[in-house]
Amino acid sequence: MNSVPRRVGRPILATAVMGVLALTATACGSSGGSDSGDAESVVIGYTGPLSGGGAAYGENVKVGLEMAVDDLNKDGLEVDGKKVTIELKSLDDKYAPSTAASNAQRLADQDKAPVVVSPNAGAIKAIQQINNGRSKFMISAYTSDPAIVQSDNPLTMMIPPNFESYAKPFTEQAMKHGGKKLALMGTQSEYGQQWTKSITDAWKKADGEIGSDNSIDYATVSDFAGPVSKALAEKPDSIFVGGPSQPTALIMEEARKQGFKGSFLVMDQAKLDEMGTVTKLKNLTNAVGVLPVKEYEDPGTQDFLKKFAEKTSKDKVATSETALNYQSMAIIAKAIELAGTTSDPEKIRAAIPDALSKVDDKYKVNGFPTEISDQGHLKNPELEATYLNDDEKFEKFPVEQVSDSK
Amino acid sequence: MTLFIQQLFNGFALGGVYCLAAIGLTLVFGVLRIPNLAHGSLYMLGAYVTYFFLTTVGVPYVAAIGIAALVLFCLGILLERLVFRPLQNSPHTHHMIAAIGAMFFFQAVAQAIWGADFRRMETPISGSLHILGAEISAQRIVIIVTAVVVLALLTWFIKRSIHGQTIEATEQDRTGAALVGINPSMVAMLTLGLSALLVTIAAGLVAPINLLSPTMGDSLNLKVFAIIILGGLGSLPGAIVGSFVLAIAETMTSTYISSAVGEVIAFVVLVAVLAIKPTGLFSKAVQR
Repeated sequence: MNSVPRRVGRPILATAVMGVLALTATACGSSGGSDSGDAESVVIGYTGPLSGGGAAYGENVKVGLEMAVDDLNKDGLEVDGKKVTIELKSLDDKYAPSTAASNAQRLADQDKAPVVVSPNAGAIKAIQQINNGRSKFMISAYTSDPAIVQSDNPLTMMIPPNFESYAKPFTEQAMKHGGKKLALMGTQSEYGQQWTKSITDAWKKADGEIGSDNSIDYATVSDFAGPVSKALAEKPDSIFVGGPSQPTALIMEEARKQGFKGSFLVMDQAKLDEMGTVTKLKNLTNAVGVLPVKEYEDPGTQDFLKKFAEKTSKDKVATSETALNYQSMAIIAKAIELAGTTSDPEKIRAAIPDALSKVDDKYKVNGFPTEISDQGHLKNPELEATYLNDDEKFEKFPVEQVSDSK
Repeated sequence: MTLFIQQLFNGFALGGVYCLAAIGLTLVFGVLRIPNLAHGSLYMLGAYVTYFFLTTVGVPYVAAIGIAALVLFCLGILLERLVFRPLQNSPHTHHMIAAIGAMFFFQAVAQAIWGADFRRMETPISGSLHILGAEISAQRIVIIVTAVVVLALLTWFIKRSIHGQTIEATEQDRTGAALVGINPSMVAMLTLGLSALLVTIAAGLVAPINLLSPTMGDSLNLKVFAIIILGGLGSLPGAIVGSFVLAIAETMTSTYISSAVGEVIAFVVLVAVLAIKPTGLFSKAVQR
């Protein structure tokens, strides 16, 4: 008979314990709230791939945002006479546009985020369907696909340069250092295929010859030797490669191992210095690609690299994903300050042109933009790319930017 | 012709890797009657543990693979004890859900420990051999040779050793095996351990020519399932033949048609086999 009251007693005891815990938690919560009562906070949302195949990319973006938020809070942000702290709230979308859109909706509705950062064109297109209706928020869009500004969404800010700008100068450089015959070995992602098409057009326009399409899925091919042998069988003078940095490096290494002497055109997704972490830089020479962050001479670049090295493991290379999001977060903060509001995304967006000239020099790390187009594209008129020469030095060359319209 | 020979060797090397991965999967299916969907993530963990011993601890390459294989053997046993054993008497869907859960768990663990970035594993085996005009890297020769040696040892283990014979006996008839005094739960643990050990050897061999990432097992997972269905679920010769057939079909179609077709060919072959001979090439009566 003893066991019956004990069984009844357990749930009661459990409830009591839970109740006490809950009360303590609320008590702590309310006391914490009163402590920071005079300092308001604003949530900046971030939805990106933090698990699954795109996790490395999503984490790189996140690190840049976190570094900026830390620095900005240290500086102190004042909005409409009140001290405001920035809070970064990150949600995982596993690279799925539909999840990204619901994450963004949640960040805007629950956390009242005036700005949501997203690093993926498909996700941005999905978020653009919802950011200017019932709930309003600005998208800080990290993608070089110009389609997102062609949609004329009034609350979009596109961060990196339009990838189409690279096709012509890359072609010129690759032909100069290689020859007229190009092999295509880009990755099979949607973005990789857009690049393949853009390079194909530019190469043909320059009277070059294109071999058969050897695009491969960098994520699923387990041995690159086969596809490389196949591409080299056509005796190309240049090879177009690109996908995530590390597999791209393996493909270039394999091509060199199999005796390829010509030039490489490297898609902007792959970063030459990051590729140097998995193979010798010697294997990557005679290649045209985007300029590594460490080669920029902006006022804040060196300090940024130092802070990055402290925050991450020592063998990690800072890429433009981190650097560009770092500086764009500073632009957003400055725009919030100038707009005098943490809740009106339209005013914040309208303040960006002014904010660009007022951002502190230390946040200028990776070709800081000086203007924003009417459709919301941040632009640095002095865009440069690089040719990695045989002496393993990064030579710079200018890139003329093409129009974002179709 | 040189290209053909080159790709033939690439195909054999890939086949060796598939084979080591597929045999474990087919053994597990034979004994436990469950499709272990977490197999690809065991492969991924095997690669990372090898990487850990090779790079962080600094033991030699072969020893690193050996230690990692033992670690994964224990992990396989734990997986059986903690995940599959409690579900012994529940419907089949529960095993699959549990396996998928284990898969996501392993991926999350790998990402938490080693990060989401790709990692490269250096190998002491360098250089290449010239065979009939083709240049074959030494690592690929090592893969092929190791696969053959490991398969021979495994065959000896299953056919000749007492513990191996209990696996085969349980595979053939679980109740009968139990009646003659074989402990089925010991066999189940041994089998899952063995499958994790084999897939770790595969991972350790292939990691130097590829990259490590928490999702590296995903594409392998799909392909080895195609292989064991192709070969006949639970059949060892089926898994071996299936692996090499599929790997060579994959490299050859990538070479002579296109890489996109090469990636799809596994599933084209699979659909064809299911349509013509649904029990697989080497079917065994495993419908009990």
